[in-house]
Amino acid sequence: MFNFDALAGCLSASSCLVTQLSTGVIIGMLLFLVASGVTLIFGVLHVVNFAHGAFYMIGAYSAYTGYSLTGSYYLAIAFGTLVAGIIGILFERLAISKVYKENLLMQLLVCYAFVLIADDLVKIIWGAEYLALGIPDEFRVPPYRFAGGVIPPLYIFLVCVSLAVAILCLLLIQYSRFGKIIRAAAHNATMVSVLGIRVPVYFAALFGLGCALAGMAGALAAPVRSLTPGMGVSILIDSFVVTVIGGMGSIPGALLAALILGMTRSFGSLGFPLFVDGMMFMMMVAILVFRPQGLLGERPAR
Amino acid sequence: MNEHKKGRMESASGGVSRRGFLAATGAAALTTGLSTPAILRAQGATIKIGMPTILSGRVAILGETASVGANMAVDAFNAAGGIDGRQVELVIRDTKGNPDEAAKITRELLNSDGCELILNSEASGGTFAVHEVMRDTGQYCVHAISETSALTADPKNQVAWIFRAGRQGIHDAISGGLYASDLVKAGANRWATCSPDYSYGRDTTAEFVEYLGIFAPELEIVTQTWPKIFQPDYTENITALLNAAPDAMYTCLWGGDLSAFFDQSSLYGLFEQFQAVAVNLGDAPVLEAIKNLPAGIHSGNRYHKDIPDTEANEQWNAKFRESGKLPTNWGWQAWTATRFVLEALEETKGDTNRDKLTDATKGRSIDCPLGIDGTVTMRETDNTLINYAIGYGKTLAEEPHVTDFKATPWDIIAEHETAWKKSKGFI
Amino acid sequence: MKSYRMTAPGHPLRTLLIAGAGLAVLLILGLVFPSPWLRDTMTSLFASGLLAMSLHLLVGYSGLVSFGHAAYFALGGYVFGMTLQAPGYVETFGAWSLPSAMLLAMFGTGGAAFLVGLVCARLSEIYFAFLTLAFQMLFLSLIQGFVGYTGGDQGLTGGIPRPAFLGINVTQSWDRYAFCATVFVFGVLVIRLITESSFGFTLRMLRDNEARVKFLGINTYLTKVICFTLAGTLASLGGVILAIFTSAAYPEWASWTKSGEAIFMIMLGGVNTFLGPLAGALAMRIIDDVTLLYTTHTELAKGIVILFVVLVLKRGILDFALDRRRSRADRRANRDRAAAHEKERADVDS
Repeated sequence: MFNFDALAGCLSASSCLVTQLSTGVIIGMLLFLVASGVTLIFGVLHVVNFAHGAFYMIGAYSAYTGYSLTGSYYLAIAFGTLVAGIIGILFERLAISKVYKENLLMQLLVCYAFVLIADDLVKIIWGAEYLALGIPDEFRVPPYRFAGGVIPPLYIFLVCVSLAVAILCLLLIQYSRFGKIIRAAAHNATMVSVLGIRVPVYFAALFGLGCALAGMAGALAAPVRSLTPGMGVSILIDSFVVTVIGGMGSIPGALLAALILGMTRSFGSLGFPLFVDGMMFMMMVAILVFRPQGLLGERPAR
Repeated sequence: MNEHKKGRMESASGGVSRRGFLAATGAAALTTGLSTPAILRAQGATIKIGMPTILSGRVAILGETASVGANMAVDAFNAAGGIDGRQVELVIRDTKGNPDEAAKITRELLNSDGCELILNSEASGGTFAVHEVMRDTGQYCVHAISETSALTADPKNQVAWIFRAGRQGIHDAISGGLYASDLVKAGANRWATCSPDYSYGRDTTAEFVEYLGIFAPELEIVTQTWPKIFQPDYTENITALLNAAPDAMYTCLWGGDLSAFFDQSSLYGLFEQFQAVAVNLGDAPVLEAIKNLPAGIHSGNRYHKDIPDTEANEQWNAKFRESGKLPTNWGWQAWTATRFVLEALEETKGDTNRDKLTDATKGRSIDCPLGIDGTVTMRETDNTLINYAIGYGKTLAEEPHVTDFKATPWDIIAEHETAWKKSKGFI
Repeated sequence: MKSYRMTAPGHPLRTLLIAGAGLAVLLILGLVFPSPWLRDTMTSLFASGLLAMSLHLLVGYSGLVSFGHAAYFALGGYVFGMTLQAPGYVETFGAWSLPSAMLLAMFGTGGAAFLVGLVCARLSEIYFAFLTLAFQMLFLSLIQGFVGYTGGDQGLTGGIPRPAFLGINVTQSWDRYAFCATVFVFGVLVIRLITESSFGFTLRMLRDNEARVKFLGINTYLTKVICFTLAGTLASLGGVILAIFTSAAYPEWASWTKSGEAIFMIMLGGVNTFLGPLAGALAMRIIDDVTLLYTTHTELAKGIVILFVVLVLKRGILDFALDRRRSRADRRANRDRAAAHEKERADVDS
């Protein structure tokens, strides 16, 4: 069950250490990219977006179509992000906005309905076979070697984008006018609307942004994932684990949690390969029991 | 009342008593719907074969291609006149990959949809559920898809009127072990495995490793990594493999997982470091999904138009593709299972009596483009399929994607299979 | 959440009589229409109905949203199945095997629910929900991990031995149906007795205003733990029914989609009525079956129906029906009162 020799051996060899550390960072940053949308929406709107996985899937499939039309990876990413964002805004206007005041279960129900519809529509439009984007030519190069370790350039690109997203989101929510209005409106929508600000527009924009982030994550990862209807399911659970451990609504928290989980997966696959998933859920349980607001979250337990 | 029922029976997938129950407002309609449907033995009536399969969710492609395969066989049979003019009809229902649903749907197919026999096209998990239902109800059944050896090898599971017309995990393990032992003898004795962490992945990998060890005792397993099924990100598994630096690796990942694994591995240049044996690579949708397939990967055959390299296989491939779908392992297995059922029905002249069908199926050989010499056989001792094309080839970057196919001789497979059964206490 | 419409507390005897009548109706239904399809459908509805009703104790009556309730449903099925499959068990206990396995399943699951409840009840709302989910996922990975005992992801294979007892042989269609119907009615009866007892009203108060309940001196933590334990135990009965029916137990019974379905049944049927979850279970089944008559896109249809219920009706089906009836009654009462006033004024004027 526990393979300490492999773990110790790796920690002493620089090539293994470099590879595993970079693996941990890569997995972590990809996890963060995917989870950032959920955290953003919850932190500001206090809505748990259970349909997050569906937007990831929509982004990936739209990117696939974009890539087959234009042949450019970057245009495909933009296309995927845009489509997911627009559908997110529509979803917010038509369905989510009606259940803001309602309890958690109504939100869950609405999101679940959306997931069902999205999965089936994707199957109708693109078919049930596994689709693959294929690695774009600019990234089809040998991996970089660094101190004996191996790091593929595509992942370096993804990590940089992920970091940029983290910083931009933080700046947007904390310091920009948009961010301040949104946070105030989430606190007390009536007062903010009395000031003459059209609150529903802002809410829709934020929800759309969260969904666009999910779509972008799907589009970015599309070259190395296989696209199937229902692919959103596995990343949904991962996103929730990251969000809960990091703190619901805290972007730095999500980043920290994602990196911790990345390292756990990376070194865990050497040290305790059969228990990696179990370790993740135990961490989730531990956080919820001892520090429910998460590592960097601010809401109190009750 | 019979004419009323016959008219209703022509419906595509709706059940007689379900439709009756739901549309009914009056007691009369209700009674018609809910009373036990009389099984029509009248001359000229359609024979209905129930087919539970997976048509939604991640593995929807399983059901879609199995349906194409089964329909191909039934359509050809009906076009050739059926059984003295009697037509055969497939009633295909979606189990959503859920074992309870599979059990419920099987019962419904038998009880309310007028099916008298079952062509089970559920995956391994759901197949056990269907198996228990068929054992309980005592009606004839052929499993088309499940590859779990214990389904037919374990005496606990053996039922006289239930057959399996698909490949078996143990056959693949012996074939793989034999093929890979050549690689070991050529110097690659440090091996790693990367397979999905569930019963199929674990059992298949364990059996492969065991047989590789039997054929080539110099084998040394340096690491085994177990991604979860449908796991999107294989990075930690790939780097674990790279760190172990084996001479060769084995994987029984399949479908979308395999194509994602390949794409991610090529980022790390994995296949330039060591050899790879991928049991499930030789399936048309996977080969066509992986852009830039590396050459020289050792690939097991699932479905390939050149394995066996016969005219009959080429024609089968062309006919299958007319449906718009790519042929798969599931497709040919469903087709073969349907052929067994149809030939048995032909022999009994349309009598669906379970014991007569069982006698007609036991030990039968049928023409099959996927058989090693143009035929496959339903082995008499344990009601399972043998003599299908099984072996390994090497991949090419361009069409036809697989070349240099080496078939594994069936006598070797049979010999080791018997030893395996003895070791498990099955015989 | 809308406040619960106060019905007069049901006298236990009255509840018992209604339960007896309900059971009689189910049994007569099974006798008059001896179609295997009807019995099989009803049996699986009994199982999912108990899952939803037991969850309703938490969601509808206590305001505790649990995302991981299916774990106890699955645990019931597994303990039942594994006990009966254990070598030597059936030989030792003979005719008492099945009832004793059932009791073991209930108490075993109750114990597990108690332990989990102790940990979870300290939290509230979304955190409670996620913690119950985390425990369910842990439990699921345990089932899939201990392949030797549980059969891993294949589930319990080889069939569950179900020896006859007290003249009932659950491998026979009628016996099985009658037995499962009885277990089902028993479970619903217990839930009703709980909700109509003083403990049940404590739960309602907990849902409506927890702080006030604490001021009354009631230990809310203990109340939550007890409720959670009861709900888990009753869910295990549903698992036992399904295990008897399918002669197996599967890890899918502990998946979060199963938990999710239970929640949807409650929401669809109406979170403010006692029988809401059962109505929801029936509705989901009808939607599935009706859709299958026309198309294979059941998910699309289900999604659209759910959106309709949430966005247009804005509440569950039974809630909607009851509200319509109440508002119609109110309008009629107002009209009568207005007419009476008019008459009085007319009398005074004349």
